[in-house]
Amino acid sequence: MADLPQHPDAEKLQGMEHEKQYDFRLPENYFYKSEKGLDRRVVERISYYKGEPEWMLKFRLNALEIAEKKGRPKWGADLTKLNFDDIYFYVRPQERQGTTDSWDDIPEEVRETYRRLGIPEAEQRVLAGVGAQFESEMVYHNLKEEWEKKGVIFLDSDTGLKEHPELFKEYFSTVVPPEDNYFAAVNSAVWSGGSFVYVPEGVEVDVPLQAYFLLNAENIGQFERTLIIGAPGSRFHYIEGCTAPTYNSDSFHSGVIEIVCQEGSNVRYSTIQNWSHNVYNLVTQRALVQAGASMGWLDGNLGSKVTMKYPSCYLVGAGAHGEVMSIAFAGDGQHQDAGAKMIHAAPDSSSSIVSKSISKGYGRSSYRGLVQIYDGATRARSNVECDALLLDETSKTDTYPYIQIEEKTAQVGHEARVSKLNDEQIFYLMSRGLAEDEAMALIVRGFLEPVAKELPLEYAVELNRLIELEMEGSVG
Amino acid sequence: MVLETALPALGAGALRALTSQGEPDWLVARRHAALRTFESTPFPTNRDEEWRYTQLERFSLAGLESVAGPLTDDIGEGIRRRIADSDAEGVLVHKGGEVILSEAAIAEEGVIFTDLCSALREHPDLVREHLYRVVDASQGKYAALNSALWSGGTFVYVPRNVEVALPLGAFTTADRGGLSAGRTLVVVDVNAKLTYLDEYTSEPFDGRLFHSAATEIVLMDGAKLRYVSLQNWSRNVAHMSMIRAHLARDSRLESLSVSLGADAARTEVECRLEGPGAEWEVLGLYFADRGQHFNQYTLQHHAADHARSDLLFKGALQDASTEVFSGIIVVDEGAQRTDAYQTNRNLLLDDRSEAVSIPQLEIGANDVRCSHGSTTGPVQEDQRFYLMSRGLSAEVAEHVLVTGFLHEVMGRVTLPKVAEYVEQMVQAKLGVPGVRERL
Repeated sequence: MADLPQHPDAEKLQGMEHEKQYDFRLPENYFYKSEKGLDRRVVERISYYKGEPEWMLKFRLNALEIAEKKGRPKWGADLTKLNFDDIYFYVRPQERQGTTDSWDDIPEEVRETYRRLGIPEAEQRVLAGVGAQFESEMVYHNLKEEWEKKGVIFLDSDTGLKEHPELFKEYFSTVVPPEDNYFAAVNSAVWSGGSFVYVPEGVEVDVPLQAYFLLNAENIGQFERTLIIGAPGSRFHYIEGCTAPTYNSDSFHSGVIEIVCQEGSNVRYSTIQNWSHNVYNLVTQRALVQAGASMGWLDGNLGSKVTMKYPSCYLVGAGAHGEVMSIAFAGDGQHQDAGAKMIHAAPDSSSSIVSKSISKGYGRSSYRGLVQIYDGATRARSNVECDALLLDETSKTDTYPYIQIEEKTAQVGHEARVSKLNDEQIFYLMSRGLAEDEAMALIVRGFLEPVAKELPLEYAVELNRLIELEMEGSVG
Repeated sequence: MVLETALPALGAGALRALTSQGEPDWLVARRHAALRTFESTPFPTNRDEEWRYTQLERFSLAGLESVAGPLTDDIGEGIRRRIADSDAEGVLVHKGGEVILSEAAIAEEGVIFTDLCSALREHPDLVREHLYRVVDASQGKYAALNSALWSGGTFVYVPRNVEVALPLGAFTTADRGGLSAGRTLVVVDVNAKLTYLDEYTSEPFDGRLFHSAATEIVLMDGAKLRYVSLQNWSRNVAHMSMIRAHLARDSRLESLSVSLGADAARTEVECRLEGPGAEWEVLGLYFADRGQHFNQYTLQHHAADHARSDLLFKGALQDASTEVFSGIIVVDEGAQRTDAYQTNRNLLLDDRSEAVSIPQLEIGANDVRCSHGSTTGPVQEDQRFYLMSRGLSAEVAEHVLVTGFLHEVMGRVTLPKVAEYVEQMVQAKLGVPGVRERL
C-alpha cells in the first residue's frame, strides 16, 4: 500500500476489511469539467471539446429539447433526490483523449483504481482486448491483432465516430431514438464515451470483448453511449463491468446501449454493475434482432442506490430469438428496479426471461417487464420466470410483469415465486460443518447459479465474491 | 375533456332528488362530501397506471343523466325465470335505481335482507356502523361517484352464529339509458354463514346506460361468505363495479365474478385480509365477444399474518374483443406466513382480439409463500387434433376445449345452479346449437 498515491481517507483505509476495498477514491485531476447542471451551453461545450461533426451537435441539441419536453417518468423507483443542478454532465480526464495500445500508458492512478477493484493486471493482459473507460473517455484499448485482421472494430464511441463516420451515422440512434424515454433523451444530449463495436459478416469472435467502466469524480454523470453492430452471421460476446468508488453525495449514470443483430447473427451482452451505493443508475439497453438472429442479455445489478434498467429485444425478423437473464441484489437502502422487455413483431420469434433477485436488510428489488406480441407475429413464444429470495423480515420484493398479446397463435407464459432462505437447508449445511453465514452464502450462490454459469469464469468468480461480500454480516 | 363538462349538473341534480327522500343527516353529509370529492378528482387517463389499458371513452359519462326510476315496473321474463330456477330464500329486484320486487321468506332468525333505504329506517345504527367502511369516496373518481349517487341499495346482515342455508340475491336491471349507481352492503357477523348472489342483467333497451356498482363486504371473526357477481347486461351498458371486502380473523370469503355482458365492463375485486387465519378464494371468469372490452382488477392485500388467498381468473376472447387482467398481491411488513397465489389464463380465439395480463407482487415480509402465473395462448392444436380424430368436427372440438378451459373455474364453484347457468351462457356465446334458445 505504501507506493499508492495518498488520498484523503488514506489513514482510515489502513486495516480496513476486505469489503472496504471498494470504498475508495483518488485525487481528482481533470483536464476539463463542465459546469454543474444541464443546459444548452453545457451540451454545446461537450460537442466543441470533442470536435464533433455538425450533425452530432444538432442531434444533441434536439435531444435536449426532447428531454425538456418529456419530463421525468412518473412510475418506478423514487428519483426525487436526484438533482440535475448538482451534477457535472461532462468531465474529461487529464490524459490525452483517445485510445492507447499499451498498458504502461495508462495513468498510474487509473491502474491503481483497477487494482483496488481486484482485477489482477495479469488477468487483464490475458483477457482479450480490454477496453477500459475511465470517467467519460476511453483511455485504454487493446485489441488482439487477429481480430483487426478479421475487420472487427472495437473502439470507444468518440473514436468510432471519428474513424468510421459513415458506419457510425448509419446505425447511431436507430435502436434507441431520443424520443424513446426521458433518460435516453438526456443521454443523447450529453453522451460521452462508451464502446463502438462492429463485427463483420460471418466473423466469429471466440474470446469476449470487454470494457470496464469507472466513475471517479464526485457528481459526474456518466453517459456512455455504446453502439454494437453484428453483421449477418457474426457471433460474439461483449462484456461490460461497472464499478464506481464511493463518494458522499449522489451521482448519476445514464447510459444508452444500442445493439443491431443482423440476419443470423448471435450476440451476447453481459454486464455486472457494482456502482457504489449512491449512484442513480438509469440505463436504456436495447437490441434490434433481425431474422434468424439471436440476442442474449445478461444483466447483473449489485451496486447503485437506485437502478432502473430493462434490457429489451425488438424481434423484428422471422425466427428472431431474444433472451434476458437478470440478477439483482438489493441491500440496505438499495432499490433494484430491473427487468426486461420482449417485443415480438415477427413470426416464429421466441424469447425467454429469467429473473432472480435477492433482497437483504432494508433492500427492495423489483422485476418490471413487458412481453408484447403484435398481431401477425404468428407462433411467437415467450416464457418468463421470476424468482425472488427474501433474506430478512424487512426486505421487500415486487413483480410487475406486463403481458400484451394481440396474436392468436402466440403462446406466452409467466411465473413468479417468492421464497425465503430455507431453514432446513441451512440446518443441513451447518450440520455438515459450515458456519451459518457460509451456509447462507452457499444457498444464495446456488440460487444464482443458473445465471452465474452463463458468465465467463472471471466474471462468475467476481460475481460470487461480490455476493459473499454482500452477505457478510447477514447473521445477526 | 368532453367528459368533464357534462358532469356538475348531473351530480347536483341527482343528489337533490336522492336526499329529498328523508335520509338521515349523516348520510346526506356523506353524499355531499363524496360529490365534492368526485368533482375535485380528475378523471383517470391512460397515463394513470391502473387505467393504462382501459378504453376510457367506452366508460364515458358525457351526456348522461341520472336515471329517475324505471319506465315500467315489469320484472321481465328473463329475471322471472332466473328467480324461479334459483332456490333463493330472498330476492330483491332493482330497476332504474328503484326496488321493484322484494321477496324474502328467511327461515333463520334475525337475518336482515332489505333495500338500503328501508334498512336506514329500521336498523339505523347497524347501517351507519358499516356503510362506507369498505368502499368510500377516497378510493377514486368512480368510488366517489357511487358514494354520492347510489340509490336503492341492498343490505344484508347475518347475526352471530347464524347459518343461512339457502342463498339470498339481488337482480339489477334497467329499461332506459342514463347513469345509475347501486350499492350492496353485506355484513356477516361472528361465525355466521351466508351465500349471496348479485346479478346484473337486462333485455336490450333504448339509450346508453352507465351503471356503477359498489359492493361492501364485512366479514367478522370466523364468518363465511360465498359471493357471486354475475354481469350479463345487454350490449348498450357500460358497467363499472367495485367489489371490496374486509376479512377479520379466521373468516373465509369465496368470491366469483363473472363478466359476460355489457359493451365495456370493469370489475375491481379487492380484499384486505385483516385477521390471522383469514382465507379468500378468488375466482373470476370472463368471455368477451363481438368487440367487448373487459377489465379485471384485483388486489389481494395481506395486512395480517397467517392468512391465505388463492386467485384464479380465466377467460376467453373472440371477435376483436379486448381484455385486461391486472392483479396484485400486496404483503405488508409483518404479514408473515402468508400464502398467496394468483393465476390468470387467457384463451385467444381469434387474431383481432387482444389480451393484456399484468400479474403483480409487492412483498414486504420474508416468511411467505407467494407465486403467480399467467398464460395466454390459442386452443392447443394437439388437443383439437385428438378430439377431431375421435370424430368431432373442428367447431365442436373448439366448443369442447373452450368449455373445458373455463370449467376449471366453474368446477371450483360450490353453487351448482350458478355454474350450470354460466356454462350455458358461455356455450351460447360460442354458438353451440340449441343453447341460446333454451336460455
